Amino acid sequence: MSKYSVIGTRVHRVDGPEKVTGSAKYTFDIVLPNMLYGKILRSPHPHAKILNIDTSQAEKLIGVKAVVTGKDTLGRKQGIWRRFPELCDEEILCRTKVRYIGDPVAAVAAIDEDTAEEALDLIEVEYELLPAVFDPLEAIKEDAPQIHDGVELNINVTRHIEWGDVDEAFKKCDHIREDQFKCSSQAHVCMETHDAVASFGYDGKLTVWTSTQSSYYIQRLLADMLGLREGDIRVIKPPTGGGFGSKFELDSAQFCASVLSMKLCQPVKIVLTREEEFTATKRRTPMYYYLRLGAKKDGTLLAKEVRVITEGGAYTAMGATALYLTGFFSSFPYKYPNYRYDGYRVYTNTATTSAMRGFGAPQSTFVGESQLDMMAEDLGIDPIEIRRKNGMTPDYEVPGQAFIQSCGLHQCLDKIKEHIKERGKLPPNHGIGVAAYGFMSGGIFNWFDTPYAFSAALVRINIDGKVDLFTGACDIGQGSDTTLSMICAEELGVKLEDIRIFSGDTGVCPPDLGAWGSRETLMNGNAVKRAAADAKQQLLEFAAAKMGPNIVYDFDIKDQWVHLVDRPERGVSYFDIVKEAIRGNDGEAIIGRGHYTPHRKGMISPAYSFGVQAAEVEVDTETGKYKLINVTTAHESGTVINPVGIEGQLEGAIMMAGGYGFCEDQPMDEGKILNPSIADYKLIRSLDMPETKILEIDTYEPEGPFGAKEAGEGLTNPTAGAIGNAVYKAVGVRINDLPITPEKVLRALKEKGKQGK
Amino acid sequence: MITDFEYFAPKTLKEALTLLDKYGDECKVIAGGQSLLILMRQGLVAPQYLIDIKGISELSYIKSEGKQGLRIGALTTHRTIEKSPVFRDKLGVLTEMENRLASIQTRNWGTIGGNICHADPAGDPAPVLMALNATLRMASLKGDRTMAVEDFSLDYFETALEPGELLTEIVIPPVPPHTGTAYTKFNVIESDLATVGVAVSITLDSGDGICQDVRIALGASAPTPIRAKQAEAVLRGKKITDVLLKEAGEIASTEAEPISDIYASEEYRRELVEVLVKRVGKEALARAKQA
Amino acid sequence: MKKELRLTVNGQPYELYIKPKTLLAEVLRDKLGLTGTKRGCSSSSCGACTVMLNGMAVKSCSVLALQADGGELLTVEGLASGAELHPLQKAFLDHGAFQCGFCTPGMLMSAKVLLDENPNPTKEQIKEGIDGNICRCTGYNSIIRAVTAVVKGEYKEEK
Repeated sequence: MSKYSVIGTRVHRVDGPEKVTGSAKYTFDIVLPNMLYGKILRSPHPHAKILNIDTSQAEKLIGVKAVVTGKDTLGRKQGIWRRFPELCDEEILCRTKVRYIGDPVAAVAAIDEDTAEEALDLIEVEYELLPAVFDPLEAIKEDAPQIHDGVELNINVTRHIEWGDVDEAFKKCDHIREDQFKCSSQAHVCMETHDAVASFGYDGKLTVWTSTQSSYYIQRLLADMLGLREGDIRVIKPPTGGGFGSKFELDSAQFCASVLSMKLCQPVKIVLTREEEFTATKRRTPMYYYLRLGAKKDGTLLAKEVRVITEGGAYTAMGATALYLTGFFSSFPYKYPNYRYDGYRVYTNTATTSAMRGFGAPQSTFVGESQLDMMAEDLGIDPIEIRRKNGMTPDYEVPGQAFIQSCGLHQCLDKIKEHIKERGKLPPNHGIGVAAYGFMSGGIFNWFDTPYAFSAALVRINIDGKVDLFTGACDIGQGSDTTLSMICAEELGVKLEDIRIFSGDTGVCPPDLGAWGSRETLMNGNAVKRAAADAKQQLLEFAAAKMGPNIVYDFDIKDQWVHLVDRPERGVSYFDIVKEAIRGNDGEAIIGRGHYTPHRKGMISPAYSFGVQAAEVEVDTETGKYKLINVTTAHESGTVINPVGIEGQLEGAIMMAGGYGFCEDQPMDEGKILNPSIADYKLIRSLDMPETKILEIDTYEPEGPFGAKEAGEGLTNPTAGAIGNAVYKAVGVRINDLPITPEKVLRALKEKGKQGK
Repeated sequence: MITDFEYFAPKTLKEALTLLDKYGDECKVIAGGQSLLILMRQGLVAPQYLIDIKGISELSYIKSEGKQGLRIGALTTHRTIEKSPVFRDKLGVLTEMENRLASIQTRNWGTIGGNICHADPAGDPAPVLMALNATLRMASLKGDRTMAVEDFSLDYFETALEPGELLTEIVIPPVPPHTGTAYTKFNVIESDLATVGVAVSITLDSGDGICQDVRIALGASAPTPIRAKQAEAVLRGKKITDVLLKEAGEIASTEAEPISDIYASEEYRRELVEVLVKRVGKEALARAKQA
Repeated sequence: MKKELRLTVNGQPYELYIKPKTLLAEVLRDKLGLTGTKRGCSSSSCGACTVMLNGMAVKSCSVLALQADGGELLTVEGLASGAELHPLQKAFLDHGAFQCGFCTPGMLMSAKVLLDENPNPTKEQIKEGIDGNICRCTGYNSIIRAVTAVVKGEYKEEK
C-alpha cells in the first residue's frame, strides 16, 4: 500500500485534454489582430565580412512593413554564460561578420509569409569572403583563420578536472588501454520548430509568446539585448512542441521578431522552417575523444585520463557547459581514485554546438562504456562484473567534485544481469551490449549569473479550496506541469484535480531557470513542495486553533482531510478549514511561497540518477545492417512521482539516444549541412523502434521532493554505447565513431575477415 | 514557397491532352503531387499553368485482361494497388513493393503513374515493373504509343515523355507458368527510399527445371533503373544454383553505376547490389518453383 | 485567379474562394482556424499534418486544397462528439501516448483511419499504420499500447 495519495499514481497529464483534442494553442498556432509575419535572411557563406546590406528594394515591395539589420539593434552580444562577458559572443543579427552558413543578417516583417519570403530575395548583401575552417583539429592550428577577434587558435573554452595523481597511478596498473573515438553531432528535431510572436506596445512593454524551455532566460537575454528592463518584458510559454535542449537560449526567431515589433509597434510572428531548424539552430556537440584507462588485473580501475576536443561551431552558447559535463561524466558511474580531464572547445565556421539532451554525457558514456567493455575483454572479466567492481555506491564523494547520496547502480546491474541470463543462448549474429550511466538532477553552477533562487513557486488557495500553483517551470512535453501539480497536491493533501498550474509566464510566475539539465522535478519540485508546505502550515494553524488538541499532537492533511497525524479519525474537512483560514486571514487568500537553490552539494548537481541499459541487436553480416531488437533498462530515479511520465521519458529517450547510435547524422561539406530535412535526416519511426522493457529500482533521494530525482535525460546516455557493445558481442567488430552505420560495420567485418581474426 | 499559377482540373483524358498541347512548356501536370509539391514548395518547379489530372477517373483502374495480362491506369493510387486482391495470385511482388513504399498517407494520394514519371532512380515501382516485363502506354493528341518501362527513364528525373504526352497506363503481360518475382530494397529506416533496390523475375521451364528467362532490375544503382543483363546471362538457360546466384550478384555489382552520397559510398552500393541480387534471385527462384 | 472550393469539414460545409496554390493544410489552419492540424516539415515526411480525406489518411501539406473539392474531411477537432472524447483520445490519455503533443493530432488521425479500415490490426499493422507519423517524444510504444487497448475493446462506447 502506498503511503502517498497522488504521487506514484497513474494519472492523465494535466495538459492532456487540450492536446488530444487539438485545442492546445502552440506559438505555432497563435494569430493576433494586426499581426505581421517575419522571415530571416541568413548568410550563405561560412565566414565572411559584411561590407554592405542594401534593403531598399525589399522595403519597396508591397506588403513589406519593415526590414531590419544589425544596424537596427543596440549592437550588443549575448550568450548564456553571462558571468563571462568574453563568452557572450553572439550578436544574432550580425553587424560586421558572419561565422557560419545560416548566421542571420537581416529580417523582414510583412503582411504574409510569402511576401516576407519574396522580400528576402530583394535584400542585397555584399560579402567579403574569408577563409573558413570546419574541423576543430584544423581550427586549432597556427595558420587557421581566426573566427573571433582576440581568440588565439580559436580556443573558445578549456576545462580541466583532476583528482588524485593519474601519472603515478598508471605506473601501478597491470593493464592500460588507449583508445580514440569520434562522437557525431545530432539534431533535436523538435516537432515544433523555433518560433515566436513578439508584440511591443505603445506603452513600451514587450510581450513574447514563444516555444521555449525557459521563459526567464529569454526574458533576461532579451532585456540585455534590447536595452529594456527585465520587468518590461513578459515572456509567455504556450504549450511547446519539444525542446530537448534547443530552446533555452535566445534564438533568431525571438530576437528578430522582437526587434521588428519594437520598430512597428505591431505583433510580429516568426516561425523557422524545418530547414532553418536543421541549419541555423544549435545542435549536439561533436567531439574527438582520447581515453586512457588503467586497471589492475582483477578489474579494479585505477586511473583514467581523458582529452577532448569539441567542435564549437560559430559561437559559445551552452557549448562550454557541454565541454565541462562531458569531462565530469567521463568519470561516471565509476569510482576512479585518479582522474584527469582536459577539454578544449574550438570555434569552427559551422552551426553552433550547444545543449542537447544528455549535454555531453551521451558522448562520454558512448566512449567510456565502449572502452570499458574492451578493458573487460582484455582482462577476461565479465562486463557486468567489471562494472559492479568499480560502480558508484550510495554516499560516495567524487573527490572534490560531487556528493552522490542515493545510488541504485548495483541493483540496476543485478537486474540487467538477470535479464541477460533470461535471454539465454542467443542465435548467431545476435548480441547484447550493456552500458551504465549516471546523470545529474539539475546543475549547481550559475554561469547565467542569475540573482534569483534557481526555482520558486507560489501556491494560492481560493475560498472553494481550489489551488492555483504558479511556477516558472516550463513543460516542453516532459510533463513538468503534471509532475509539479502532483507534488503540490501530495504535499497539500488534496487531489490532483484541485490544482491548477500556471507555468512559464514571466508576468505571473516566479522565476525558474527552466527545463534543462534535468532540473525541474528536483529543483522546482522542491520549490513547489515548500510553497505547498507553507500554505498548508497556514491552514494547519487554523485547524489547531479550531480543534485545540493536546500539544503532543500535530496535524497533517491527506485526501482533503485535515487531521491529527496520530488520530486520523479526528479531523475536519480541508474545505472547511480553507474558509475559516481565509476569514481568519482578514479575507486574503492563503498564499504559500517556496524556493530552492542547491547549497553545499558540491560543484555539479544536488543529486544523480543511475541506470544500466542492455541493447540487443541482430547483425546481417553480408550487409552490415543491424536490427534493434530489444532495449531493456534498469534505472533508478528516486521516488517515482509520475510513473506514466517516467515511462514516456524512458521510451522516448531510447528513440533519441538509439538514433544517436543508429542512424542520425549531420554530414557537412564546407560548413553546409547536407541533409536539412526530415526526409534526409534519418529518424527512428514506429517500424524501427525496438521492444522496450523498463525495470524500476526503488531508491530514495534525500535531496529531492519526496525522494525524487531526475529521469529523462540520463536515459539518453547509455543507448549508443549499449548498441556499440552489442554489435561487438554479435559479430566481433567495434565501431569507434558515431553513428554506427551498416557501411561501417560491413567495412569492419571485411577488415576482420581479411586479418583472419 | 509556391508561386501562383493558373489551375485547370480536366475531367477527361481528352481535355487534359488538349490543355497540355495548348500550354506546352509553360505547364506542369500534377497527379497526387506527393513528389511535385515538395519541389514546388521549394520553388524548384514554378509553372505558370498547372494541369491537375487527379480527377480523371477514367485513368484509375486495375483490369485483368486474361491472356492480355493486366492493365493498371496511371492514376491508380499506390494504396489501391496495395489493397487490390487482383495481384495476390501471381503478382504478389507488386503488393509487397507498395506496402513498403513511403507511408500510408503518401500511398493514399500518390499514383503509380506519378511515381514513374517523377523518375527518381530510387523509386520502387520501376524496377519491379521492369522485372515483370511491363510496358507503358502514353497518349497525346497525335495518338498513343507504347514503350518498355526500362526505356522510359532517360536520366535522373527525366523521362521519354514528349511534350503534350501523358502516361496513361501500365501493361503487365500475363505471368508465364513457373515464374517467381521478388523485390527488396536496402535501407536503414524501414519505409525509407531505397539505398539500393533489386527486383528479380525468374521463369523456369518446369517445376524444378532450367531457367528459361530472367530479368534483374536494379534501382538506386545508376542514373536510371537498369537491367543487369550480364548478370541475367549467367542464369539464363541454366539450372540455377546458389553458386550461380552468387556469381550473378558479383556481375550485377559491376554493371551498376551507383553514386556516393551521404547515405552510402559507391563501393558500398555495389556490395549491396551483389548481396541483394543473390538474395532476391533466390527468393524469386523459390517462388518460381512453387508457382 | 481564385477558385471556389467546397469542403465539408467535421460535418460542417464550407464555401471558400482561394488561390489555387493553397494547400489543404493552409485552408484548414489559416482559413478555417482549425489549428489542431500541425505542420512539422517542408518535405512531406513528418505526418504532423495528417487528416482524413474521404476516408483516407493524407498529409494535408501535400494535397492541393482544390484536389479535395467536394470532399469530406475529418480533423482532430472532429474526433470528439461534443464533450465525449473518442475512444482513441481516451486511450491516449490513459496510456500517456503523447508528451509535447505536437504530433498528436496527426497521430490520432492515422490511428483512426487505421481502425476504420481494419478494426482488428496486429501489432505490426498498428506500427505500419503510424509509420508515416514521426514522434520525437514518446518512442511510439505507448501509442501502440493505446491503440491496442482500443482494439481490445477497452473503450467500447455505450450507446
